[in-house]
Amino acid sequence: MIEINHVSKSYNKGTVRAVDDLTLTVPPGEIFGFLGPNGAGKTTTIKMIVGILKPDGGTIRIAGLDNRADALRCKAMTVYVPDEPEIYERLKGIEYLNFMGDVYGVSGGERRSRIEHWLEAFELSRAVADPIQTYSHGMRQKIILTAALMINPRVLVLDEPMVGLDPRSSHLLKEAMREHCEGGGTLFFSTHIMEVAERLCDRLAIIHKGRLVACGTMAELRDQAKDKASLENIFLELTES
Amino acid sequence: MSPTAALVKAALNSNFGWSVVRHRLFVQKRDRWMVPLIALAVVGVVPTLVLYVRLLGTVFDMLKSLGQEKALLTLAVLAGQLIILVFGLFYLIATFYFSRDLEYLVALPLKPSQIMLSKFAVVLINEYLTMAPFILPALIVYGFKKDGGLEYWLIMPLAYILLPVIPLAAAGLGVVGMMRLVNIGKKKDLLIIIGSLVLIAAALFLQFGLSRAAGTSGLDAQKIIAMIASPDGLVQTIGRRFPPAIWATRFLHNGLMTASGLSAFALFAGLSILLFGGLIAGAQRLFFGGLVGLSERSGVRVRGGKALAIKFSSGHHPVKAIFLREVRLMNRTPIFLLNGVLGVLMVPVILALTLNTGKPGDDSANILRLMTSAKPVTGVLVTTMFMIVCATLSGVASSSFSREGRKFWVSKVIPVDYRQQVLAKFLHSMAIALLGIGGATAVLVFRFRLAAGQWLPSLALALPVTAFLTFLNLAVDLARPLLDWISPQKAMKQNLNVLIAMFLDLGFLFLYGVAFIALGKSGLRLAAVLGILAVLGLGLACLAYTLVLQFALRRYPSIEA
Repeated sequence: MIEINHVSKSYNKGTVRAVDDLTLTVPPGEIFGFLGPNGAGKTTTIKMIVGILKPDGGTIRIAGLDNRADALRCKAMTVYVPDEPEIYERLKGIEYLNFMGDVYGVSGGERRSRIEHWLEAFELSRAVADPIQTYSHGMRQKIILTAALMINPRVLVLDEPMVGLDPRSSHLLKEAMREHCEGGGTLFFSTHIMEVAERLCDRLAIIHKGRLVACGTMAELRDQAKDKASLENIFLELTES
Repeated sequence: MSPTAALVKAALNSNFGWSVVRHRLFVQKRDRWMVPLIALAVVGVVPTLVLYVRLLGTVFDMLKSLGQEKALLTLAVLAGQLIILVFGLFYLIATFYFSRDLEYLVALPLKPSQIMLSKFAVVLINEYLTMAPFILPALIVYGFKKDGGLEYWLIMPLAYILLPVIPLAAAGLGVVGMMRLVNIGKKKDLLIIIGSLVLIAAALFLQFGLSRAAGTSGLDAQKIIAMIASPDGLVQTIGRRFPPAIWATRFLHNGLMTASGLSAFALFAGLSILLFGGLIAGAQRLFFGGLVGLSERSGVRVRGGKALAIKFSSGHHPVKAIFLREVRLMNRTPIFLLNGVLGVLMVPVILALTLNTGKPGDDSANILRLMTSAKPVTGVLVTTMFMIVCATLSGVASSSFSREGRKFWVSKVIPVDYRQQVLAKFLHSMAIALLGIGGATAVLVFRFRLAAGQWLPSLALALPVTAFLTFLNLAVDLARPLLDWISPQKAMKQNLNVLIAMFLDLGFLFLYGVAFIALGKSGLRLAAVLGILAVLGLGLACLAYTLVLQFALRRYPSIEA
């Protein structure tokens, strides 16, 4: 579903290599965890997948389509949730949801039932008619997640989705992520929470200084490391400078 | 470094972006193409500046022949302070209350007065830059022509430094008081807009009052002779409603070694310190009261399912959805609304006001004569230009992408063709431009009482040209959107794209005017001239439509949000 082939990206006229010859594939129905220390290149990779950043080299394909040549079709099946909930704070929550529903072409009936379901689940029903500028960080994160789940895309790309969420919402999100993949969808997400990655992901990748240092199932990662006690230990061992 | 000094330094650095510029030019090695462009723009201003200096020299000579050369200083000081009073108001409101860094600053162990001081420093430095091209030449020309000696050249910078303090501090006090008053209840944004309008209206009325005071239309011949006979006559007449202008003139002219000069300086500096002190003291008491609530959550939410149900959209076309987003974001962000919508209405309103208060022989009557002149082509040209200027110079189109700021990622990820996104932005900018054209037409019809035979052809000519310029302005912002801002003011009034677009618009209007006049003189009938210009406008609008949409396809993917 997501194929990243020899993708590179650098900043400052090539002096800082954020992503270096990255290749990996995420098949449909898989929850794929993307781990790495701060500044390893996770967000840059994610932004290239969703089309915010342009790779210097390599290709990214979504469901077999090149995400630059067939940008619109790729975007129509992908929804991105950023690490910082920077959204239109002067819009009301419901206006943001309607806007996203309109641009993704979600029908009136589906829109209504999914929004009502997720607003209820995230306890946002009372706040949805208020301007987003009055929301807390967690509420903003939840309204972006509500929009993503309302669209119900084939590919969900989430950057640190648990940050700012309360335990209940975090639990609901994990259930929704699992449900999404059981329905044949693909999920690519980054996280710093090792326990979540270990328990939730079908496969994991660890990126360090822009390069892929490990990729596989939890069992395969254990094989690559000396200290096999936990994902945290594996992560620390593989990302030692 | 003391906390106040550190805060002021950080505020100046953050606002003027010196660190960012250094990083971009020398580390990232981006934007280097801007350096020659800025140099070229500076060189381009030189001829205008030379003309202005020559004009000032002529005015000085003329005043000197009447023994009234000091009046040049009074005019310069008065003009400088009026520019600051009106333009500084928007800037003060935005900087004091709408900077995104405020929520971090409030949490730091700083006094409200320290935060206010850092914000005031930013506005002050900006005002020095704003008034420099208008006021400095006048002060320099006076110094050379009068041969004021070393003392004048030492006092002049001091006068320039003090010049914006009185109007800015006075406006600042008004703003702080207004924000404290309106920060009650739920409709804060609406109250902020109304309060700002009231302040702006007050400033405009003050300006008209002072302008009338500076005029001599109310004087009879005897009074004029008396005025000229007295060495301070014209200075007193111009500055009578604003004494600081007289004080500044006196200490600049007489120097600080004379009793009258020193006392005038003491008065000028004293009032500056008093108002500034008042602002800081007022900030200590009122600043946080005005701030709290701008980002706070509104009370308990009690809305039920029914209220929610009616707000579900059944699905809009993406262009309509983006258009609605643009409308809501502009109308609900006070700074955007004040600069954008008020920007297009400001010129017609000012013109309507001047005509209302005008007397025979003043500027508005001259404009009226020009509009209804014997040559119909001249009349149509003036009214067309007036409509276009009212429609396009607000900066709405030339900040359309910049206004999205850090939320631009949304536009990059949504599955909407970039051409459709630009089209929605065009429709929104055009809607505001139409508001400007509507305002201009209303003034022409109801105040100037122009016949339909004159304003209707102008409307037909102005619409396609406005569409063309709107596309042009969108292209300027699309080429180099300013997405990393902390104060919405930066996205509009301090956005270089707005300035570049304005220069391009004025350049085009100059050429359009030349073409208009050339066609008028060619001996063609008026209908033929208007027909050719209408076709030209339509052709340019269609060409711009095609080119800008193609440009969007190339440019959008490389904008990295």
